[in-house]
Amino acid sequence: MKEFMEAATVLNNRRVGEWKAQGGRVVGYTCSYVPDELFHAAGILPYRIRGIGASETTIGDTYFGPFICSLPKCMLQLAGEGKFDFLDGAIITPGCDSMRRLDECWRKAGDDNPGVLPKFFFHFGVPHKYSDYTIAWFTVEIQRLKAAVEGHFGVVITDEKLAASIRLFNRGRDLLEAFDAFRTAEDPPIGGADALAVIMAGTTMPRERYTELLEGLVGGLGRSASRITGKARLMLVGSANDDVELVCAIEGASAIVVADNLCFGSRFHADRVSEDGDPIEALARRYLAKNECPRVYGEYKARLATLRHKAEQARVDGVVLQNIRFCDLHGSENGLFERDLEAAGIPCIRLEREYGPLVETGRMKMRIDAFIERIRQRRKTA
Amino acid sequence: MRPETREYQFDWMLWSCFSAASKLNAGTPKEYRRMLEYIPSFRGVVETVLDAGEPGQRFIEICATYLDNVINAKSRGQKTAITTFCFSPAIFYAMDIMPICLEVISVMMTFTYKRGTTEFLDYCNEAGYTETSCSSQRGSIGAYLAGLGAEIDMIVTDTPGVCDTNANAFAFAAAYLDKPFFQLDMPPDLTGERSNEYHRADYTALISFLEQHSGKRLDLERLREKLIEVQKQDEMIAELEELARMVPNPLPVVYNFMVYASRFLFAGMPECTRTLESLLALARQNAAEGKSGISGGAERLRSYFCYIDHYVQNLKLWQMLDANGICYQGNILSRSWASNAPHVREFGTQEAAYTLDTANLDGLIDTMAMLNSRMPMIKSIRGPYDAPNMWLQDTLSLATMYNVDFIVYNGTPGCRNTWGMVKLLARDTEKAGFPTFIMYADAFDERVQSWETTRDRFMEFLNVRRLL
Amino acid sequence: MTCVAGCDVGSLTSKAVIMDGDRIVQSVIMKSKAKPWESADEVMRQALEKAGMSMGDLAYCVGTGYGRDKMTFINEAVSEIACHGKGAQWLVPTARTVIDIGGQDCKAVKLDDAGNMVKFITNDKCASGTGRFLEVMAKVLGVELADLGALSAKSKSPVTLASACTVWAQADVIQHLNDTVPLEDIAAGVNAAMASRMAVLANNIGVARDVCMTGGVAKNEGVVASLEKALGVRIKRIRKSDPQLAGAIGAALFAKEKVDGGMR
Repeated sequence: MKEFMEAATVLNNRRVGEWKAQGGRVVGYTCSYVPDELFHAAGILPYRIRGIGASETTIGDTYFGPFICSLPKCMLQLAGEGKFDFLDGAIITPGCDSMRRLDECWRKAGDDNPGVLPKFFFHFGVPHKYSDYTIAWFTVEIQRLKAAVEGHFGVVITDEKLAASIRLFNRGRDLLEAFDAFRTAEDPPIGGADALAVIMAGTTMPRERYTELLEGLVGGLGRSASRITGKARLMLVGSANDDVELVCAIEGASAIVVADNLCFGSRFHADRVSEDGDPIEALARRYLAKNECPRVYGEYKARLATLRHKAEQARVDGVVLQNIRFCDLHGSENGLFERDLEAAGIPCIRLEREYGPLVETGRMKMRIDAFIERIRQRRKTA
Repeated sequence: MRPETREYQFDWMLWSCFSAASKLNAGTPKEYRRMLEYIPSFRGVVETVLDAGEPGQRFIEICATYLDNVINAKSRGQKTAITTFCFSPAIFYAMDIMPICLEVISVMMTFTYKRGTTEFLDYCNEAGYTETSCSSQRGSIGAYLAGLGAEIDMIVTDTPGVCDTNANAFAFAAAYLDKPFFQLDMPPDLTGERSNEYHRADYTALISFLEQHSGKRLDLERLREKLIEVQKQDEMIAELEELARMVPNPLPVVYNFMVYASRFLFAGMPECTRTLESLLALARQNAAEGKSGISGGAERLRSYFCYIDHYVQNLKLWQMLDANGICYQGNILSRSWASNAPHVREFGTQEAAYTLDTANLDGLIDTMAMLNSRMPMIKSIRGPYDAPNMWLQDTLSLATMYNVDFIVYNGTPGCRNTWGMVKLLARDTEKAGFPTFIMYADAFDERVQSWETTRDRFMEFLNVRRLL
Repeated sequence: MTCVAGCDVGSLTSKAVIMDGDRIVQSVIMKSKAKPWESADEVMRQALEKAGMSMGDLAYCVGTGYGRDKMTFINEAVSEIACHGKGAQWLVPTARTVIDIGGQDCKAVKLDDAGNMVKFITNDKCASGTGRFLEVMAKVLGVELADLGALSAKSKSPVTLASACTVWAQADVIQHLNDTVPLEDIAAGVNAAMASRMAVLANNIGVARDVCMTGGVAKNEGVVASLEKALGVRIKRIRKSDPQLAGAIGAALFAKEKVDGGMR
């Protein structure tokens, strides 16, 4: 668990350090729509860029305007402070409007402070819908990224290497699914904060080591006798969250987060990349189709169905619908989820928060406590 | 929402305001003056627009016609589609679907009512939609969420890839009201065969969607007719744009607004053509006489708004500009990107423009796809602001071409996209020699910053930069 | 006699209530200190002193509000959302929607017939729409907070105020003062802005009758009247006790339930 936690909470963690010391290269990306497999096949460590540990946003605020999500501001802050100097490249996507403008803001910060911008910097276009022509377009976009990576880093990504990487990442998804079964069980052996760390570590450490650790963990959980009992079972949904502390604050003394639908969380292993046919097209299909982010417009019903299914499987008592301020995509969808889940008898609480140091923990705790009291009253009267 | 607001259909109320305003000139001057006393929140709009003479009269008339079409569409057997300002309505008119353009309706309400759209803005939040979302859609969509507007058959937008908060408003409404939804998605690059193909495939899918939900086949002849009309309108707009380069600028400050509003409501329709004809006639006359469009007759400064305008009631922004001798050289909404537009020729940006091809079905679809992908905002804030053909290039080209003294950014706090890059844009435009003012107000919601504060900060900028 | 107590420490004021059965024996409202637990100790000490009692005379004590977990003398901590709901229903038994405006947050709570929370919502973070907002505005206007309501009642033409943010609203108020707008019109604008933000919250959970208002702002008739207009319902006035005590009363009632249920 220690190694998962370190990988999830330290930017330049031990495994990244070892990788770099051996001459390895690291490429960062900002959104779950970027296929890790492509970088793995190139012998490059894919690293999901984080915002944790930023104690202020003076650099972020220099470039971004005031009405912008604090997550990309924190990312830019860390980059400006040199915390991402270990990155050899960065990929920006139009995940959302706040995040895609990290492109210009980071470049301008690089103009002002030479060295802040990684040498390889790529704007990766991701469509907002799923259809034949969007998959075709996205397939070409992945090919364009592949060619750029090959050109810049002097590597060749063969179909064989890519197929092998796909198999390895699918194996990881299988293991995480097995892990999920423990996490969502009655009286689970592992809590939500630890679970998030386990899943998130996969985005910041070499894949082979991660798979090995996961195998050990899943085996260990099977044998473990310790159980977490008597807590209100919650599901965490909404804006990107890469901060284990947020889950700790929500869980407090009387709740456990047994399920999530976060892009840093269990959305990663919701499906598999097809191991047949053209590997690039297979990546395009998986990454465009199954990432259940509200940036894909018009798919609300499918996402609601996913939540209902997860809530049922994990037997949750309530759903925490959180969004970072100015995240209108998740914030508004949370409004719809609240309406429809409550109507289905699942209690919900909506939380709007600021990303970054948890200065509002007291207020959040007050609301979560009241939510748990509501759940308990409900149980009592049921 | 106050209970009394729920008593009436909001679009009917709005129609009744504009319809009455369109008839004001029919009475005697005394009757006209007397009437103004009864509409304190609307009189500034009425006076400013009607004072512009025949074009103003025509403009108020087409606003009333448009609203009449909105409230009566269903009884006339038409389907209705909620859509957005940066979506060319020509395709809807060609398919006999009534386009209900949210932002234009928000503007009309903001102009007309004392409280503007505030109750509907707030109603969205009550329904679960975030308060940080853009007020341009929120203001009118709240009324539809509350069931206070015309019945809706479908929801169509083209802002995915351009503006999250806009696209999200439509997606939210579709989910909330359980209506069919279609999005045209925009890739980050404007030009190049790959983008063109994507636009084309997407537009073809749109036509199938519209056919499916309207139960009507696309009538080629009718589409061709609309596009020929669009072409005519673009040529007139091009001439207006050319005239605006003169010093003094012969166009009154409110012209620009009337041009883009007419296009958003009625592109491809004779209503828009007639308004443009009348705008053009007066502009030509002013130009021939060497007259400034400023009502005081003296042009002191030339301004370019790199984003949108401030729609607080009674046209206060335009009144402030006019009173200070500041002429209005356009904004992101007023540009036509037809290949025959003067700025396109001047800066050699033909690839970023559209050309009308009405020869056959492929040509028509291609034209519509290209035209739509070059609508205001859709064209220039999809990619990085400093990429070719994007926001910076457009802003600097137009500011230079119109020889402006300063640039203004005004938007809404809901605009994640432009607030993510406006500081960088302003840095670059300042470097290019254009004093640039960033307004922190909300174009549609005075509760973010009152007009009085907005006005004082604007004037303070002009004073501090020694522009006045 | 079996006495219980409730202690509610807010960001601006701290409240303590001692109850015997269904009767309030003693209550205290004081300005909060920097550290919540010091406020708790002090307000409780004052209440006990006024009642001529000591801690040992209390059968059970519930704490609520900020820093409730750090209160040393309580038997249990309960969230202020639940406490306000409970307290409000004791004050107005027919209340099904409770709107509470505290110093730095505001909340709307929907209750069932038994006083259980069915749903609740709180403002997310900004001071706009809270007691602090009124406090800041009163200061800029140079009037006493308590006079804001009466002042706004005289207004004929309330101003529109930038209400999205307290800081901007402050700038706006100064702007209006410079433009020599009558004080009562600005005060009415302040109260209306406050009410409209609160109305959005309340409508979000769905307003069920009767509606009552707790917290210090409930004493501002200007806000209450504006809110009635915005919601289109009459707000039941609390006469039984000070509406600012609702949280502490709720806490005391939770304490009483514990004692009655024999669960120590």
